[in-house]
Amino acid sequence: MTNYEKLKNLLVDVFLLEPSEFRPDLTRNEIDSWDSLGVVSMAVGIEETFGHHLTPEEATGVKSVQDIMNILRARGVVFDD
Amino acid sequence: MTKPLVWDLADLLNADLGKAALWAAPSVRSFATSRLPYPLLEPFSPLTGEMNSLVVIGGGTLIDAAKVWLHEHAPGVRLIAIPSIWGSGAEASPIAVVNQDDQKIICKDQSYLPHARVVWPELAHSIPLDKARAGCGDCWAHALEAFLSPLATAELQVQLAELMTAMLALPLANDSRWFEISAAACACQAQAGVGLIHGIAHTLEIPLRIAQAGMGWGHARLCAIFLWPVMSLNRIASGKWDTLVAHHHLPGDAIMTVLQDLFDAESYRHALPHLAAHWETVLRDPCTRTNSLLVRPRHLAHFETFAAA
Repeated sequence: MTNYEKLKNLLVDVFLLEPSEFRPDLTRNEIDSWDSLGVVSMAVGIEETFGHHLTPEEATGVKSVQDIMNILRARGVVFDD
Repeated sequence: MTKPLVWDLADLLNADLGKAALWAAPSVRSFATSRLPYPLLEPFSPLTGEMNSLVVIGGGTLIDAAKVWLHEHAPGVRLIAIPSIWGSGAEASPIAVVNQDDQKIICKDQSYLPHARVVWPELAHSIPLDKARAGCGDCWAHALEAFLSPLATAELQVQLAELMTAMLALPLANDSRWFEISAAACACQAQAGVGLIHGIAHTLEIPLRIAQAGMGWGHARLCAIFLWPVMSLNRIASGKWDTLVAHHHLPGDAIMTVLQDLFDAESYRHALPHLAAHWETVLRDPCTRTNSLLVRPRHLAHFETFAAA
């Protein structure tokens, strides 16, 4: 499974989306369940899936799927595999 | 966080409560009215005169209901909470869990925090053993879920590790020391949140009460039953459980043995179809979303195979 697929599966589970709803340009404003508790779940899931801990500032600062990918890329996670 | 005053019975009887009244749960009504000097009111009945303090003796449901009722109908009246059973810790927290449209709603407001909580050890002997054990399960659920919560601070984890060490030394039975444990565990979970056990308990309590009336379903019993399956999932699917437990020098296997002791396979089998039917609601529950492990749709299979095991 590619890292992109892992991220997609993770965010589909965190925010209880239909897989078809997922897009790499999804933003926080488009997802009702991306609230403060969603931020907590997302941070837990990212640590479980990619082994990278998000600080509270990073987690709350994320506004889109692209932001998550950028944070993970900066830590060496490759998405264009 | 502000804490309620902690009184014993003598403190209560000597306190200047002004004009006080009493709400008492049916199970302890005669016990309470024979020992307390306050006039007994029917819960939620309209106030007919001045009242400065309301003394409430009962379980978490009655104490939480009193918090919300006072907030709405008699703000400024002091709430004196006397738990008749341990588990909820409602007497020590600014949280109220109330039923609304067949759902459990969690409300938090600093005004919900009782003015004082009264520890009355004699009440421990009035609790049926099955309810006492379920209350122990509720205490364990609060302590473990707060300890593992992604919102727990390192300082809180140290407090909870000490608390759980004390809990391991207590019998899962009528022992009045659980009153204090319960208040402490609840005060901790009010800071860090809880997890999947509470997500399941909040989601299933009302459907189970409707579908299986007379089987005695309640919050504490659901917590006690789901402790072992949920903590097994957390432990199997994430290394965090063992890492944290080892870091705080807690005996992980001894804890799991306690949780297994509280497990009731027959009740679990009765609850399982409802868990499957309401799984998506469980996933969306605010408590589930602060579980130590990210709870995913596929994790339902763990509970289904747990039953078979």
